[in-house]
Amino acid sequence: MSSSPNTLFFRIETVHDVSSARRKGLMLAMDMGFQTADATKIAVVISELGRNIVSYAGKGTITVLSQAGDNSRKYIKIIADDRGPGIKNLNQVLDGGYTTSGGMGLGVSGSRKLMDEFNIRTGEGEGTTITALKWL
Amino acid sequence: MYFSGIQKLDNLLLVSVPRDLVDDEVIQLRRDVLQAIRQFKSQIVLLDFSQVDICDSFFGRFIYGTSQMTKLMGAKVIISGLQDAVIETMVELGMTLPDVDAVLDLDDALELTSRMFKRNGKLGGADADNEAMPDDDDKVLAK
Ligand SMILES: Nc1ncnc2c1ncn2[C@@H]1O[C@H](COP(=O)(O)OP(=O)(O)O)[C@@H](O)[C@H]1O
Ligand SMILES: [Mg+2]
Repeated sequence: MSSSPNTLFFRIETVHDVSSARRKGLMLAMDMGFQTADATKIAVVISELGRNIVSYAGKGTITVLSQAGDNSRKYIKIIADDRGPGIKNLNQVLDGGYTTSGGMGLGVSGSRKLMDEFNIRTGEGEGTTITALKWL
Repeated sequence: MYFSGIQKLDNLLLVSVPRDLVDDEVIQLRRDVLQAIRQFKSQIVLLDFSQVDICDSFFGRFIYGTSQMTKLMGAKVIISGLQDAVIETMVELGMTLPDVDAVLDLDDALELTSRMFKRNGKLGGADADNEAMPDDDDKVLAK
């Protein structure tokens, strides 16, 4: 049976971890039948969220879930999870262009635009969990 | 380590940007480019992205920063070969690259730069002051 979700799990501590996670995410999305542009978006979201884990939380995990079965609608879901300091000024971060590190401030706001569903749970001192989903 | 693929073509510097560069490699590539501009007195830098299939905001900042730095060295960056999927993703992410000139592919880039050389004899290089550009200066770019 191929209808159960597949899972890719990545420990994220360095930019190398991010690089390998986004490449595997791209391959998975292409294998599932996502068009190149959508697979690229999935890879970039993994890259942005993974980079944020490295830069702001030090370490964390990225899980890529896929529902690839024949019966239900297919999707890819990215879960980026860390136990870092949490995102302050969440509204500004979501508006885009806001950065505390000299970046472009597009990682979170842009990732939200690239995906179909986007959810953030964050609290000061509690860490951050971002869940992002794209339908096939 | 990465393979930078920096090539001198007359007054052009052709840089084939590899895929999957990590941050310190990106920074090293930029330093190599700046050094090559100085060494070869290049006046146009072609950054070719045809191998790149994932371009996040860090990478976008690299493109923009490289173009600014190149400008300060008296040269000009033209980017080429961005894939459709990469372009769509960059723009939807919110990355617009103001002041960065782009062309579709390497052929268009060479054609554009050839026209620029024609317009401005100064782009002829270090010894351009000594004599006027030849009439058929398109050939300057021929391989
Ligand atoms: N996982 C995270 N933990 C803590 N802070 C974060 C996290 N992700 C993002 N941030 C904060 O949100 C800001 C905006 O993030 P982002 O949109 O990716 O832009 P950039 O990384 O270029 O600053 C960051 O500068 C940082 O302050
Ligand atoms: Mg970021």
